[in-house]
Amino acid sequence: MTDVHTPASGPEPVTEQGEATQPFGGGDTGAADGGTGGTSQPSQGNAGWLRWGWRQLTSMRTALILLFLLALGSIPGSVLPQQGADPAAVQQYYAAHPALAPWLNHLGLFNVFAAPWFAAIYLLLFTSLVGCVVPRTFKLAGAARTPPPRAPRNLARLPHSSTYASALPPGAAVEGAAAVLGGQRFRLRRSEAAATDQGSAEHWVSAEKGYLREAGNLLFHLSLLGVLVSIAVGGLFGYKADKLVVEGQPAFADTVSALDEFHPGRLVSGSDLAPFSLALNKFTASYLTSGESRGQPSDFNANVTYRSSPGAKPASYNIRINDPLSVDSVKVYLIGHGYAPVFKVTGADGKVDYQEATPFIPANTGTFLSDGVVKAPSSGTGEADLGFMGVFVPTAIKVGGTLESIFPAADNPAVSLIGYSGNLGMNSGVSQSVYQLDTTGMTKISGSPHLLLPGQTWQLPGGKGSITFVGVKQWVSLAITYDPGQMPALVCGILALAGLLLSFFVRRRRVFVRAVPAETGTGSVVTVGGLTRSDASGGFEEEFAELAAEIAAAESVKHPEEGA
Amino acid sequence: MFRPKGRTVVITTATLAVLLGVGLAATLLTQGKSNASADGIIEYQQRPVAPDFTATSLTGATIKLSSYRGKTVVLNFWGSWCPPCRAEGPTLAALAEQYGKRGVAFLGDDVGDTPANALSFTRGIGIGYPSINDPGYAVVQKFSQVSPVSDTPTTVVIDKSGHVVGMVLGEVSYGQMTTLLRDAAVVQ
Repeated sequence: MTDVHTPASGPEPVTEQGEATQPFGGGDTGAADGGTGGTSQPSQGNAGWLRWGWRQLTSMRTALILLFLLALGSIPGSVLPQQGADPAAVQQYYAAHPALAPWLNHLGLFNVFAAPWFAAIYLLLFTSLVGCVVPRTFKLAGAARTPPPRAPRNLARLPHSSTYASALPPGAAVEGAAAVLGGQRFRLRRSEAAATDQGSAEHWVSAEKGYLREAGNLLFHLSLLGVLVSIAVGGLFGYKADKLVVEGQPAFADTVSALDEFHPGRLVSGSDLAPFSLALNKFTASYLTSGESRGQPSDFNANVTYRSSPGAKPASYNIRINDPLSVDSVKVYLIGHGYAPVFKVTGADGKVDYQEATPFIPANTGTFLSDGVVKAPSSGTGEADLGFMGVFVPTAIKVGGTLESIFPAADNPAVSLIGYSGNLGMNSGVSQSVYQLDTTGMTKISGSPHLLLPGQTWQLPGGKGSITFVGVKQWVSLAITYDPGQMPALVCGILALAGLLLSFFVRRRRVFVRAVPAETGTGSVVTVGGLTRSDASGGFEEEFAELAAEIAAAESVKHPEEGA
Repeated sequence: MFRPKGRTVVITTATLAVLLGVGLAATLLTQGKSNASADGIIEYQQRPVAPDFTATSLTGATIKLSSYRGKTVVLNFWGSWCPPCRAEGPTLAALAEQYGKRGVAFLGDDVGDTPANALSFTRGIGIGYPSINDPGYAVVQKFSQVSPVSDTPTTVVIDKSGHVVGMVLGEVSYGQMTTLLRDAAVVQ
């Protein structure tokens, strides 16, 4: 992935020492065959098997397979309704597929992201990645520090080489070349005796450039670890919450008991929540009023007023789809909406027992025909609790005696109610859904549903009380998310990409210069050899030719009288 | 491949991977849980100062917590919509009757509610003490800075010096309340 192999074509640049062709970076950093080797055979004993298993797990191939499995495993999470995101949809699915649903539930497909098999995949992937990346990081760090190898004996056998005659003695000629290479920011390694002993047998200099390649590679791997750590930090310190807010309700404070759903990270406590408060002033949904897609939403806008802390100045914002509110480093997203008819229920004693905007849940997202219940516990002695099951239609028409909605906007709102009296069961202390009515302790007040338009009141038979449909408000469902790992993950992602590009485009290349005394007695014969590992894009040939010419020319500039 | 140095690296890596993995697993598979003791009472060794607030009651009166200084205060967070609140209502009404004579003040904080629904609740159950009209959980948010009022109902007991003695998350029992009220009288 991050390395390109030695050119396969051309003469094998093998030298007597074999050193010049030792892998660039001093070790096998080839990603293609995995961090610690993929297919080597297990050695004997349990330790051997463990080692083999570890090598298999940390191989790049395994990581890729796990990544693929993770993507595959996420599919049911987006296709099937999820318990965490939309419990009501799961219930609907159960009702629609009574035979299949329990099986899917056994497989954890209604809660994919918390299922053990899903956890197994990401834990293995995490282990695989860490196990692959950490040792490689050590290796790359070592490679970036390794000096160039000794110059091979026969430079003419390297893929690139040129020879020129120098008027200088070998040591000085090599020094001149070294000065040129050093000026070009090559990392140098000289023959031990070159600088001091003119009579020494060996005069050479090795130069290497393109360490940025290893630096890029290192950056890539470290950033990859950074991404993983960022995700973990997000999981530990972040939280997700849902809150349903009705228009005109007083601002709600972001605190655990005020939230409808709260999914904190492991290290989040209630007092860590951002101290903002928020009220929905007005929600506007626009729908297409003509054409084939009549009734399709065209725009949503939730106008809110918020305070970043209890004492702060209030500010206003329009939350739209994909345009969340950012407050106290949390993001508030608009994820749903619906209608909340306002009801006023009076008990048998004539006193008001219930007056509230009551959120109804859309049963049909096309027409916003919605279901809901009203629970009015009694307040007088001997008085019965009142309960109502309702259907709300924003634009009502009568189709053969049944109430239908023909448009999602509240153009002609109406509610149809079935009344119950008796015992709601709320005083027993057992928690119940605010969207469901437990009618076990209740009796139906009337046979057929009662239709109410805004402002109308239904006087219940037998002096049981009354219910008034006061008006309609809208509600929005807000998702409040805090993910401290998001920004670090983004930064690490960008750095990883930058590192990858560096390691792709920077070539590691070596130039060797070796000088031997000329046979004529004065001066020397200088051979310049060049080698690059990744020459897929070409270009080194030209660079080498230029360098060789420069090295030769530098001498004649420095010593014009001798070169003449 | 597995020279001693290589082995060290492998062991380091494995340990790192396992630690990070376990951390991630713990993160994703569990959720924050409260640390209530066996009897369901959370009591403080070091009592934090209860945050002061000024609010309006369901009937429009001004309520200031610090004006209760010198009295033990039982502060009950409730809502008419919450069945456990309805269930514990008679217990609190009886306790208010009994302990009110001994200088214990009872105060409600009605959350996520409307005054009409709330007054129907207090009328129906026979609760005589005042309740704050707190539809947006503002008092809860303030209190959560010192004590995690993470459930409705939650009942907090504050001692005479304005420090939080302890709390019960969820429906209270008579026994829990008498324990907390007895401990509130013990001056720290």
